[in-house]
Amino acid sequence: MFANFRLSLTWLHTWFGLVLGFVLMVAFFFGSMSVFDREIDRWSLPQTRIAAQPMPSFDRILAARFAQMTEPDPEQRELAAGRVTQPLPEKLKVTTWSAFTTHRDPVLSMFVGFEVPNSTLPDDQIFGDVTIDPRDGRVLSRDQLPIGSGFFYPMHFSLHISWYGVGYWIVGFAAIAMLAAIVSGVFMHRKIFREFFTFRPTRNLLRSTLDLHNLAGVVALPFHFLWALSGLIIFAGIYFPVIETMMHPLVEQHEREEATHTGLDLEPSGKPGRLSPVDAMVSAAKEKWASRGMPGEVGFLAVTHVGSSNAYVSIYRDSTDRVATAEGMHFDGATGRVIFEDPPVGPVETVNGFLEGMHLQQFRHWTLRWLIFVGGLLSCACIATGFIFYVEKRKRTHARDGHAGSRWVDALAVTTVTGMVVATLSILVVNRLLPENLPQRDLWEMSTFWLVWILTLVHAAWRSSALREARMSKAWPEQCWTIASLALSAAVLNAVTTGDHLGRTLSAGYWPVAGVDLMLLATAGIAAVAARKLQARARARVRDTVADNDTTLEQEPERA
Amino acid sequence: MPDAVLLVAALLVTELGMGWLALAMDVHWKQVHARARSPRSATVLRTLGTAALAASLTLCLVADTATMAVLVWMMLLAVSAATIAFVLSIRPRLLAPLAGVRRASIAR
Amino acid sequence: MAATTTQSSWHVLSRICAGILGSYLFTWGFVALGATALLAAGLGFHEATDLVSMLGFLIFLTAFCFAFIAASLTRVWLVLAGGGALLTFAGWCLSRSLA
Repeated sequence: MFANFRLSLTWLHTWFGLVLGFVLMVAFFFGSMSVFDREIDRWSLPQTRIAAQPMPSFDRILAARFAQMTEPDPEQRELAAGRVTQPLPEKLKVTTWSAFTTHRDPVLSMFVGFEVPNSTLPDDQIFGDVTIDPRDGRVLSRDQLPIGSGFFYPMHFSLHISWYGVGYWIVGFAAIAMLAAIVSGVFMHRKIFREFFTFRPTRNLLRSTLDLHNLAGVVALPFHFLWALSGLIIFAGIYFPVIETMMHPLVEQHEREEATHTGLDLEPSGKPGRLSPVDAMVSAAKEKWASRGMPGEVGFLAVTHVGSSNAYVSIYRDSTDRVATAEGMHFDGATGRVIFEDPPVGPVETVNGFLEGMHLQQFRHWTLRWLIFVGGLLSCACIATGFIFYVEKRKRTHARDGHAGSRWVDALAVTTVTGMVVATLSILVVNRLLPENLPQRDLWEMSTFWLVWILTLVHAAWRSSALREARMSKAWPEQCWTIASLALSAAVLNAVTTGDHLGRTLSAGYWPVAGVDLMLLATAGIAAVAARKLQARARARVRDTVADNDTTLEQEPERA
Repeated sequence: MPDAVLLVAALLVTELGMGWLALAMDVHWKQVHARARSPRSATVLRTLGTAALAASLTLCLVADTATMAVLVWMMLLAVSAATIAFVLSIRPRLLAPLAGVRRASIAR
Repeated sequence: MAATTTQSSWHVLSRICAGILGSYLFTWGFVALGATALLAAGLGFHEATDLVSMLGFLIFLTAFCFAFIAASLTRVWLVLAGGGALLTFAGWCLSRSLA
């Protein structure tokens, strides 16, 4: 597009990095939160603060609960009603039962699949789900929001915009922009090896910001690239449903071949049948795993063709010791004998399984989990310093010429950096303040998050008027102080409302809650230090002199 | 738990490796001591650094299955590089022991 | 950025469309032909589709960068949109002969 390819890539990096950077901040920040989603769930749902439980007995606990799950999620039913050629019957036919747990879960998720007849989509299914206490099968109220896995995690990959899946597409495009920003960043950064360890925290904000941006970007470059790529691969079926849409006969042919090869029927037989004891199948599976030197618990259990004579039960191990998820064993529902065992996968699927497993992190490795968390925060640091660099570079020129560009970028940067943290902390605070049995408690909590985030935008927009005189917006330190007080309040409120203060959780070794409280306190500390430093800088009125602008930044094309 | 010990060791060895690789660069060598150095010392430091990173990969592979070990190592590299960068910017002299390849040439 | 003023807004907009839509179409075609070609070559269904999906995003990335690096905007549209349409058609024809 420009005179040489480095200039073009610089343009690409600047503009796509800037615009999609706001989305990427959300994806990477809530991605980092999602690393500890189940721990945040424990913090937000005190009644689930028990030890992690293995999958309970199917015959004694799960079967009865499944039998009671006769209705799909109302929202999904409504959406299905819009894509059928005949009105939906009152009662939909149950097709599948499944249960899912990991080594970090004290609670169990149960799903029931319902067939959608006369649908315009092939093999259309909708679902109902509950979360239960595995010790007694008691159902957790839907009003209780698991803030980690139920709010932060979906925010990370869909921005909670479910209208026609638009949120998935926005995040997906942001991921492509991330990959492009990495590639273009490498080409722009001519001294990438020489400046690998360079960080010069001088009074020159432009220089030190760029150093930090480069440092955060380069040292964790494989992480940034692999996580963006693997996220896209996980949703490849959404982004490029080429075979499913254009070549459906191929899919059907494959399904038929697979059904013949595995002995697992595609369609229910139409004849009623009874399930033989599933617990016996689970024991058989566990014995097999142990005999192969990989003993373990059940991670995922599914019953397909519920109620039919050809129902089958699929059992997957909770693969805590490796990155990819485990292969399954499939049992005949009526007799309990093994029909088929998934064979070890070939090279392509091994790589695919590795990439997806790496991203979804169901493995048991606390060091790696923390390292990935830090990696995600490094990504956020890279993006945030990108915004700050953009503003710093232009704010004097814009102030002089009366352009509003750097002002609005600064306001949006505040909103997606400090504002997002403020909103995150406020949902945790309000979680502790609301009455336990408040109806629709989950809606109250989520609404608080969105409202507070909007307020931080309003605050940022108001304070960014300082950019008109090329001064730092006070929104930065003010929101930092807000973060510090909210984080501290959240930890204190946890102690007050649940009694699980750090003294108790640390001595009992209940790390999910202790960990969140410690992170809250650390956040409060860091935010307070940052706020003081920012205010000191503003007070000192560091006059960004001409000397600062002389710093040759060879990555940038020459200005006219 | 032996795994934890192995991983801590891997982290420390990675930090050493990154420190040596940093000091192999003139700009960071000068941050640690003023005297010029022989051209060979840069090569020695780079070799030491690379060897240390290989050693930390080995430690990771002993601690975990291959797929997890590779991920752990990759993230240790990132964290160590960032740490060394911050040390160099705040307290570069802390890395002086790593530069003590030729003790006689350390300026005090 | 001074360099931008040498390009008209329409040109920039066209580049962006080519980058996003053109790359998407090109990748769609790559997946279509790639998957069917691998299936025809005897690869398993999941192997073929997984491999092509993984490579597909790297292809998208390459096409995206190409859209902004290439000197001629016409060439960008021809290669990405035109190429994508051709690849899609070829893939679709091949799939019909397979199913």
